[in-house]
Parts: sequence; structure tokens; C-alpha cells
Amino acid sequence: MSAFADFWAGRELWREPLLAGVLAAALLSYLGVFVVLRRMVFVSAALSEISGVGVAAAFYVGAVAGIDPHTHGAIPILLEPVWFSLVFACAAAALFSFRPGHRKLAPETIVGLGYIVASALVLAILNSPRIAQEAHAVGDILFGNAVIVPRAQIYALAGAGAAAILAHALFFKELLFVSYDPETAVVQGVSVVRYELLLNLIIAIVISVATRAVGALPVFAFTVVPAAAALMLTENIRATMPLSIAFGVVAAAVGYYVSWVAQLPTGATMVVVASVFLLPGLARLAKRSTV
Amino acid sequence: MDLVRLERAVIGYRTPLLPPIDLAMRSGTTLGVLGPNGAGKTALLKSMLGLLPLLGGSLVFPTGRPPRVGYVPQRDRLDQSWPLSVLDVVLMGRTSLLGPVRRFDANDRRRACEALEEIGVGELAERPLYALSGGQHQRVLIARAVAAEPELLVLDEPTSAMDPAAERVLLDLVERLKRAHNLSVVLVTHQLTAVAGFATEVALVDRARGLFEVGPAREMMTAERLGRLYGREVRVIEVGGDMAVVIGPPVKGEEERPRRARTGSTEEAG
Repeated sequence: MSAFADFWAGRELWREPLLAGVLAAALLSYLGVFVVLRRMVFVSAALSEISGVGVAAAFYVGAVAGIDPHTHGAIPILLEPVWFSLVFACAAAALFSFRPGHRKLAPETIVGLGYIVASALVLAILNSPRIAQEAHAVGDILFGNAVIVPRAQIYALAGAGAAAILAHALFFKELLFVSYDPETAVVQGVSVVRYELLLNLIIAIVISVATRAVGALPVFAFTVVPAAAALMLTENIRATMPLSIAFGVVAAAVGYYVSWVAQLPTGATMVVVASVFLLPGLARLAKRSTV
Repeated sequence: MDLVRLERAVIGYRTPLLPPIDLAMRSGTTLGVLGPNGAGKTALLKSMLGLLPLLGGSLVFPTGRPPRVGYVPQRDRLDQSWPLSVLDVVLMGRTSLLGPVRRFDANDRRRACEALEEIGVGELAERPLYALSGGQHQRVLIARAVAAEPELLVLDEPTSAMDPAAERVLLDLVERLKRAHNLSVVLVTHQLTAVAGFATEVALVDRARGLFEVGPAREMMTAERLGRLYGREVRVIEVGGDMAVVIGPPVKGEEERPRRARTGSTEEAG
């Protein structure tokens, strides 16, 4: 049996994970154009970690209260890891939108601190004796595995995607203006805080949901790599966005297939395939710099 | 009629930069805001536009609403690596006219193209931003401000890094736009030549000396006042009807005087 026939025969197993990967890649690759152009790539890594703190905190609070938070349906809704994750990510996105800072503490430093503190908190909570027995389950919820994806996560991704598409369909010109030139936008009466908050909340929601579906590494990569690859090849934002989405979708699909047939880690393989799309842009840059 | 008025306004980021000031931006005038680097010009501008909350006093809009502003930021503050065309950037000026949800239509594109034609760079509409020269980029930003159909045109250091000829061309362009659209203009600069012969009113600002004076250009652009502002000997001479300002050596005792703020934060005091 050929590799493809073997892959096709197992479609009942990969249909949902592949769909989740493709959906997540499409959404993140689109949002990634804003992320890369606004020079805030580390925000996606920080939001992913901070949403992870929410999941870990839900388990910890559940353990303290004597409730198992990954027993769906048997726990109070306030202890659902999904909600904890979204609330933490959205709170961080709101904080980042208000550009907290100081002349000695740039916004990037605040984001970096968020990432560092969140990473430490996740590790500390996961290694707490109270939830040590559930650490593996928590890890799967935290970082996903891109191999087994419950249908509920597909619906969550579709919902987050619909919200992102709606917000961008309604407010694209404002989001572009405040991202490109916030100073002029605010002088001309466009609320920079409101639209940055909207953009950051959308990014936070998509990252939070996508991290659970496909894992932290692919989420970070899909937010940065396809957009960077597309930006190196295009000079018009209307071409950059579809090209970025196409790179992300193809990387997710091909990466999943390659990981299946070669028995490689799924998330990492998707990232490697996505990185291949950087090559044409890098070659173009090299050609320009030698002219 | 006044478009904007600052009344006993205390401006600053956390602490006052200047003594309480009174300043009225009258319709049809050109106000030059002049001062050395770090004098508080940008803080004054932001306070006038309502972007920087006053620490005291009040900001009054006598027409009952803030004026529509066309803003030309300092060119080097914008990122030219964005994959945007010139038309994309000029259309941004129409964002607040449209309001949320509505998309740019054929009328907006026509108005944006007209603004580019008026500025003399109509042929650049489809050109990518990165391919523009510095002067072209500056004109595109002015076209964006004009596309906003402003009552008040605000230019923040528009002629910095320009040679004198280019500076003159740009100022003539702004003067022409002012007449054509019945605009009021605020020009923030540290370049004396940009203000002399262009502004009808001048505000002199220097937070290091706690100095704020405003009045008709002829009264403000004197050797005595400018000398006080810069701590140097200044000569103001007329050449063929135009005003020229010559800066001389420091006034005695000024060499040793450090240029530091008496009060306030140093950030964005420009």
C-alpha cells in the first residue's frame, strides 16, 4: 500500500485534527500579517503562555475545591479550563492594548515579562503536588497535540474565526489605520485604544483556542512564519494577506500529511514545512542585496 | 472665530512643562510654534488637539465641537516597510469622515486622487510606499491630511531634513492649500526660516526657561525675543520683503547654562 493510500485509509482518524490545523493556520496566518507588521511577534507567544496559565489555574482551583476540571459536564462552568484560558488571554490582550510602560520599560519588555512570568507560573502549577497526577492531561489541554482534536475544539475555532472575520470585515480600514499610524489616527478622531483592543482581543481569542487544538509551537509559528514569508514576496497588503493564508493552510495540510507518513511530531513538522515558504523571499532578498 | 482655545492651561506629561498659558487658534490664521529641541512644542500641540490631558485650566472648542484636523506627522515616525500603496495611505485620511463599518467607495478614491493631484504627485497613486523619496513621502502625508477635508491643518516638523529650496517649495504648497481650502494652519518647527514670512502668529516655547509667548508674527519675530528664546545673539533682517533670521554666538553667560528642564519629564517634550 502506498503512503498516500495508507494515509487516505486512515481518514477517520485525521479528518478532525487536519481540519483544526488548517483552520488554525488560516486564521493565524491572516492575523499574523498585522502581528508582524506591528512588530509584536512576541505578543503571540506571551498570549499563548498566559492562556496556559488560565488552564493550569482552572485545574489548580478545581483541585483545591475537590473538583476535576477536565470532567466535562460535571463541573461548574466557572471552572472550565476553556473559560479560564480565554479570560486570562483577553485580560493580557487588554493590558497590552493600553501600552503600559515607562521610558525605561518599553512595551516589548512588558510583553516579555508577561511571557516569562506566565511560563514560570505554568511550570509551578503543573508541578504542584495537588495536580501532579493530572499533569499529562493538563499538558494536552495546555499545548494541544494536533493529533487528537475533539469536535468541540473545531467548533470553537470556527466560532473564533467567524468573530475575527466579522470584526475585520466591519473595521478593516480602522484596524489598518491605527496599526500603521496610531498618532494620526487619534488626531483624526479614530479611537486607537478601542481598535487596538479589538485587534488584540481577536488575536488573544484565536491564539487561546488554537493553542488547545494544535499546540503552542505551531500557533506561534503560524502567527509569524507565513506572514513573514508573504511580506517578503509582496508589495500590496491585499496580496500579502491571501498569500499568507495560502502559505499557512498548505503548511498545515502538507505538514500533517508528512508527519503521518514519516511518523514525525505533527506540530513540529507543520512548522518545518511552513519555514520552507521563507526560502523564496530570502532568495529574493539575497538577490537584491547582491545587486 | 476661534477654532480651539487653551485657557490658563497647564500642559505636561506628569508635571507642568510651562507656566499656565492662554492660546487661541483663530480661523484663517497660520500659527507657527517655535522653540529649540525639547522645548515642549509637541506637548503644546498635543494639548491643543486634546490628545494630552491638561494638568490644569481648560481646552475650549468655541464651535461646540473639535475642529476636523488634517495631521502631517514627522515623516521619520512612519514605517515605510508596510506593503501599502500611496493611495492606501491617502485613503486613511478619510477614515473618520466615513465612520466605522462603511468601506471606502469610488467617491473616497476620487477625493484621495484629487488630493494627490493637488499636491502635485497624482502619478504616484499606485506606487508602493517604500519606493518614494523623502520629499514624495512628505507630500503624500500632506495629501492624506487634505483628503480628510480639514478645517485645521497641523504640520509637525514638516521641513526637518529638507534643504532650503525644498523647504520653500513645501511651505509655498501649504500656503496655496491654505488659501484654496480656507484652512487654519499650525506649523510646529524648530527652524526659524520655516516660520519667518509664513506664519501670521507665532508662539515661542521653551520649557527650560519657562517661556511661553504668543502674538502676531511681526511682534514675536524680533531679535530681542528670539535671542531670549535661544540664549543667543539674533539678528532679524529684511531681504527683498522677506524676513531672514541670523543666529549669532551665545549671549554672555549662556554658555555655562545647561539646557535642562526646570520641571517636568523629558519624554516627548519635543
